[in-house]
Amino acid sequence: MTIASEVLSSIQSAFPGAVLDSRVESDRRLWATIDSNKILDVCKHLSSKHNFDHYSGSAGVDWIARKEMEVVEIMASHGAHQVVAMLKIKTPRENPSVKSLTGLYWNANWYEREIWEMFGINFEGHPELYPLLLSDELMGAWPWRKDYKGYPDLTTGERAVEITTPDGYTQYRIPPTPAEVEAGTVVLERPKYPSFREREELEIKSDSEMIMHLGPQHAMVPGPFLLDILVEGERVKKAFLDVGYIHKGIEKIMENRTWLQGITYTDRMCYVASLSNNECYCGAVEKILGLEVPQRAQYIRVILEELSRIQSHLIGTGEFLTLVAGVGYAPWQYMIMDREKIISLIESVTGARLTHTFVRFGGVRNDLPEGFAEQCKKVLPYMKSRTEEFIELFAQDPIYSLRMENIGSIPAETAKRMGCAGRVLRAAGVAYDMRKEDPILVYPELDFKVVTGTRGDSADRIDVTLREILESIHIIEQCLDRIPSGPIKTEAKIPKKVPAGEAYYRVEDPRGEMGMYVISDGGDKPYRVKVRGPFYATFQTLTPLLEGVYIADAVAIAGSMDGCPSEADR
Amino acid sequence: MDGIIEIITQFAADEPAVFALIIGIIGAAVISGVVNVGAMLVIWGERKVLSDFCNRYGPNRVGGRWGILQLGADAIKLFTKEDIIPGDADKAVYVWAPIVASMATMLVAVAIPFGALHINGKDYPLVVANMDISALYVEAALSLMAIAVFMAGYSSNNKYSILGAFRGIARMIAYEVPMGVCVISVAVMAHSLNLVEIVESQTVWYVFAQPLGFVIFVIALITDLGRIPFDQSEAEEEIISGYNTEYSGIRWGLLYFQEYNNALLGSILLSLLFLGGWHGPIIPIPILDIISPLIWLFMKVVIVLWFFIWVRSSLFRLRIDQVTNFGWKWMLPLSLLNLGWAVLIGSYFA
Repeated sequence: MTIASEVLSSIQSAFPGAVLDSRVESDRRLWATIDSNKILDVCKHLSSKHNFDHYSGSAGVDWIARKEMEVVEIMASHGAHQVVAMLKIKTPRENPSVKSLTGLYWNANWYEREIWEMFGINFEGHPELYPLLLSDELMGAWPWRKDYKGYPDLTTGERAVEITTPDGYTQYRIPPTPAEVEAGTVVLERPKYPSFREREELEIKSDSEMIMHLGPQHAMVPGPFLLDILVEGERVKKAFLDVGYIHKGIEKIMENRTWLQGITYTDRMCYVASLSNNECYCGAVEKILGLEVPQRAQYIRVILEELSRIQSHLIGTGEFLTLVAGVGYAPWQYMIMDREKIISLIESVTGARLTHTFVRFGGVRNDLPEGFAEQCKKVLPYMKSRTEEFIELFAQDPIYSLRMENIGSIPAETAKRMGCAGRVLRAAGVAYDMRKEDPILVYPELDFKVVTGTRGDSADRIDVTLREILESIHIIEQCLDRIPSGPIKTEAKIPKKVPAGEAYYRVEDPRGEMGMYVISDGGDKPYRVKVRGPFYATFQTLTPLLEGVYIADAVAIAGSMDGCPSEADR
Repeated sequence: MDGIIEIITQFAADEPAVFALIIGIIGAAVISGVVNVGAMLVIWGERKVLSDFCNRYGPNRVGGRWGILQLGADAIKLFTKEDIIPGDADKAVYVWAPIVASMATMLVAVAIPFGALHINGKDYPLVVANMDISALYVEAALSLMAIAVFMAGYSSNNKYSILGAFRGIARMIAYEVPMGVCVISVAVMAHSLNLVEIVESQTVWYVFAQPLGFVIFVIALITDLGRIPFDQSEAEEEIISGYNTEYSGIRWGLLYFQEYNNALLGSILLSLLFLGGWHGPIIPIPILDIISPLIWLFMKVVIVLWFFIWVRSSLFRLRIDQVTNFGWKWMLPLSLLNLGWAVLIGSYFA
């Protein structure tokens, strides 16, 4: 199997001089600074010769002291090998600009748009560089740059001015000073996301068509995001997606909190998956610190993360079923009741139902309470029989198969190309699971299967989710048998200031591959935290999937992705 | 008892016009009371039974453990809520839609026998207008609800509502025909279109005589009532309650209420046509023997309603194209097949 050093030497031999700086962290991590002119060629080389077919995301970093910006492209492979290449491209801070990878990787679109609106790094050749998460008024403020002073400007105390737009809406803006206009540092012509009326004028071709909202306020959405569908009768002709309705700027907030305080923010990214988010952040920091986690703590983490996966899958599936069957659908209530048992188990350990803040650098916050294993052994067999019952129920229901089978099918190749994650990818038949691909904690010692589907449709997504619950139960049972006694926190002292360094850590979130890229400059706060969320990755694929389906199917497709806009917007 | 009936019969014979007027007025008061109170109980029952299916409590605060006064509280809320009419709505149609819906239900209720009193070995049906064509009339009046739905959806000037209205009409056209054919099959077997006579002719319940017709009628009835799996015109999760998205306060309450009125009347109709109506063994206890037909019909209606709720809690909603496909390609041919069967078997029953 390909390892990181092989990849590095291959790049170096194919493009002499392209690699400016490199570091092979382990067999699975390659850090390389690539000449910004050669990045496209290097990526082409990697994807054709080394199966780097998974564009996992990209992060922008503002190195204000070095007067340069950095874009980190995170490349991986869908199972061909386990190397994650972190390719850095440097660009000067004045007029930063790098080449866009959208031509090579379809899903680079959103990641680059986000970096552009947050850091002001231009992407040459990007087809639609307009705001994704921010509102139009904030464009040009580049809020994630290190010299951003807040909005409104906190240093001058200048308030934003209220402006009434020609179409009657109110906008808030800090008008540029003449000096700024002259220097060209402010953006005057902002590329604007079309408003609803503009889009109606643009897209509607005949009287029989109309644009209908499925969000941000709609019974279908699991959290606020805008999904407009252009319908002709019952058929969806085109879908428009806009996210950013609950953009909280968590990545930026974490830069202003101490290392430990950051953990609480990871909870809030997606509250049904807060334990895996905790794990992802803590794991990355542990990697920088070089901490070894005691065995018992590792087992506790695995047990809780798997419990958390079960409860997330239950509510994700249950909520989705109500979208197709109505709120009176009884199995949804059963799932919620069952989930309550799992939540109680987690609560008995962490003391919280949803936002746990439980994982610590080098361990966990507290030990398992007495009688936890017995309690688990009571609940898990029950969960298992219930889940098997659900699987059987859906397999037998003819209306279920009418509504779910071959709805929103994604073939394996498309799913890989579009960078889907989690259940959507696995339902398409791609066995891609971070617990196998990038094993952490005690996962390599445990026996479990990666559940895959065949057709990649809504029915498969539900089936994969339910069978994953069974795998999780199996994992927890093994952990309970094997968990050793011992310390739950590392003996080593955890410094307030984390030494300079960087790490990329991946976990299998209930929704798929979640990665966190954490940079420390040696201070008591992270220099940059980049979250690569699984639903953000899957979310992009929604619009092409909705073209040509019925309105009812649009709901069945969007719901089956187990969405969490809160995590996508961060 | 005999004396009273004799006096009434004498009066009806002497002054038919006055008698009809008195019966009409009493009947109007009684049926609006019975239907509306019945619908309230249906709503309460649906909430309770659905909660049972879903493993939760349902209303359990207002009016004691069983939450029996919940609906009263809801009604007070609906009456006192602000009545909002959207600015761009077609006001007249918008305002009239709930009224038309109410009228449609009452028109159905007029011709439906609500049971019978068993006096001296003879059944006296409780029906306001005992028409010769009441089965056909009821079937026609039931479909008036679709017009109210379309009025509400069209006049709201809302995209969800208009889609809901379209779906309602598409569904109604696809399912009224098989439903009508089923009613005709029953009428063929009973040699009458009069609901009272249809019930009286059921020495063998028609559910056994024409099981296929029964199944088709039940499916078509669920469609007509707009319940899951056929509630595409409402479909909260897709088109936000569809045709009544814009309605609020008591106007919404009226529309909502009519659905349950219809559910009640529909299940009575089903019991009358296929389940032997008020037929059943007479309970040999004084007074109870008089109302025992009523008790039997009531029990049948409760079972039918319970079945509807059971369906709601266990099935998925079909897509509108699947519904119309199923209606035209399966229900209509099968209902015609059933009509043929009814004609064949009907000669035996005659």
